[in-house]
Amino acid sequence: MESSEEIIKVQGLVKRYGDFTAVDGSEFSVHKGEVFGLLGPNGAGKTTTLEMLVGLRKPDEGTAIVGGYDITRELDKVKEVIGVQLQSTTLFELLTVEEILHLYGSFYREHISIPDLIEDMLLTEKKNSRIKGLSGGQKQRLAIALALVHDPQIIFLDEPTTGLDPQARRTLWDIILRLKERGKTVVLTTHYMDEAHVLCDRIAIMDQGKLIALDTPGELVKNLQSDSAVEFRFDEEADVVLSEIEGVKQVGSQKDVHILYTDNLQQTLTSLIAIASEKELRLVDLQTRTATLEDVFIHMTGRRLREG
Amino acid sequence: MRAYYQLTLAQLRIFLRNRQVLFWTLAFPIFLMIMLGSFLGNGNGISLTVAVVDQDNSEQSKLLVKELKKNKAITIEKSSDEKNMLQLLKDGDLQLVVTIPEGYAKSLAAGEGTNPFKLPVYYNETNLTVSQVGLQLVNNAVDTISKKQVDYKPVVVTDSKGVEALNLRYIDFLVPGIVAMMIMSNNMNGVAGQISSWRERGILRRMQGTTLKASTFIAAQITARFMLNGLQAMIVLGVAWAVFGIEVRGSWLTVVAFVTLGTLAFMAIGFIIAGIAKTPESAGPIAGFLSFPMLFLGGVFFPIKDMPEFIQPIVQVLPIAHLSHALRETMNVGASFMDLGMEAIILSCWLIGAFIAASFTFKWE
Ligand SMILES: Nc1ncnc2c1ncn2[C@@H]1O[C@H](COP(=O)(O)OP(=O)(O)OP(=O)(O)O)[C@@H](O)[C@H]1O
Ligand SMILES: [Mg+2]
Repeated sequence: MESSEEIIKVQGLVKRYGDFTAVDGSEFSVHKGEVFGLLGPNGAGKTTTLEMLVGLRKPDEGTAIVGGYDITRELDKVKEVIGVQLQSTTLFELLTVEEILHLYGSFYREHISIPDLIEDMLLTEKKNSRIKGLSGGQKQRLAIALALVHDPQIIFLDEPTTGLDPQARRTLWDIILRLKERGKTVVLTTHYMDEAHVLCDRIAIMDQGKLIALDTPGELVKNLQSDSAVEFRFDEEADVVLSEIEGVKQVGSQKDVHILYTDNLQQTLTSLIAIASEKELRLVDLQTRTATLEDVFIHMTGRRLREG
Repeated sequence: MRAYYQLTLAQLRIFLRNRQVLFWTLAFPIFLMIMLGSFLGNGNGISLTVAVVDQDNSEQSKLLVKELKKNKAITIEKSSDEKNMLQLLKDGDLQLVVTIPEGYAKSLAAGEGTNPFKLPVYYNETNLTVSQVGLQLVNNAVDTISKKQVDYKPVVVTDSKGVEALNLRYIDFLVPGIVAMMIMSNNMNGVAGQISSWRERGILRRMQGTTLKASTFIAAQITARFMLNGLQAMIVLGVAWAVFGIEVRGSWLTVVAFVTLGTLAFMAIGFIIAGIAKTPESAGPIAGFLSFPMLFLGGVFFPIKDMPEFIQPIVQVLPIAHLSHALRETMNVGASFMDLGMEAIILSCWLIGAFIAASFTFKWE
């Protein structure tokens, strides 16, 4: 289903707020039928990028072709082929689920069957309830339903799962994967590694307005050139050159938490413990794991995706 | 077209489900009307005792007195002692003193070409409401005389109001004013508050992500509000009729026409405020800043004529002044739409000007 046809082509998008550059010359393409993830910490510029693509913010420089139309010149055409779910969606709270879907459906030339859509989004039970009384997960599914009401080719989802419990997140993942099966192109933003890994065909990692990596999740992790990570703290300030520990390929440290990347876990661990004993340092919170996207991010920026 | 219909429907649903707003926007004008109406001049109408000091003692002056007597609301007291009468006026025993000076008949006979004759009418400023009504009634009588005299060309100065022998009460004056006030606050304050809060909450922004056009959105907003406010105005008029026996003497079509014009004009002003206000919190005070002076200067509760000279020019351009005046003339006097052309034109100017300004200031976010 995925093809190499470029359905979105982003060309040097720049957005500034005063002196501050929120998006600094993004350049990437999204292929037809793929799920494309924008990954990055708070304030990276994910929402800004996405909202420029859907015409809600005007780029200061650059442009993008979305579904064959230029976002700076043919926005009306663009809006016909895209569906949008914004990071913080508020709707008319006094309307019911069914009413608001009919309302949004009427904004377009054509819309799909509302009862089918309600069923697809698992909202059948709630179709006559007011939006005010929906749970977080139901609201989010409704927001996505609104994005789908005119059967768009491309769907933009800004943090569709943030703030949901694990169960509700999984439900949404299923919905997104079903969209992909139906041949839709999905562009989503997220902070969650596991989510990006499960859902996305390709991931663009953003940090401070810049695109710092773009690849499939598998390749990104592979490019770390190490498959294991050792994470620990010392109980007090220590003067150790971590990169000299045996087998260590890369070091990622933030505050007092250290992460060593290695292909030879046993060798690195033995060496680390030996050095700690020698310098009379105590290792705290020691854990080992296979390297993940989170590590890719830490490695590239020296920071974690989510604080804490 | 479907979007227009669906948006109108959605807006009406939102209105009807917002019971509290619905209740209070209706309760306030009705409460105000009943309070003011019961305190000030309900009942048998204002009883007016008018002293006439006839110094001319001619055929013509007698005619004028007869004309005044025709009105049931006026009790005429004839006298020749002007000074005494003025004292009684000061004491509040009389409401008006009309003096017909010597030479009145001669001046009328001179007829065309000469300056209109000035008829001194004294009133007590401390009792404005009553004096106001009285002045209007005297004006009528004078007007009738004046028209009879020379083919409808005034020889006596009149404030050409076509009031016939009406029993005008304060409540008659008040009800059209309250309807005008309601139209102003529901539309101007209502639109400003709602649109700016929808903008703040990102509701408009989400709609901007669709192919919906701003003009469709605004048109639907106007339609829904117009339907609701029209209904509310009718309810208030219904209550006024049931409680105070107020009736619409002119044509209902004229009333509807002015309710429409007023609704549109104030809605447009509301859209401008919503465009200017950065937050919904600031929309309220901005709308209040505009609506409060209009309430007091615009002839809602008090006749505009009672306003000091220096604010008259300001008062004369306020849309509420023309709306309340037009409604009053239609309801109390039975003026036709043609008679109120000036009011219609001024309100239309406000409407068009405000919509142009609103279309420049409207923002989805
Ligand atoms: N309207 C605005 N005015 C000024 N600065 C803004 C505005 N919108 C965004 N920014 C700034 O631009 C940067 C990028 O914001 P953006 O919302 O795109 O981040 P994000 O990656 O979506 O973050 P999050 O994960 O928290 O949603 C932030 O530093 C933010 O403060
Ligand atoms: Mg964001």
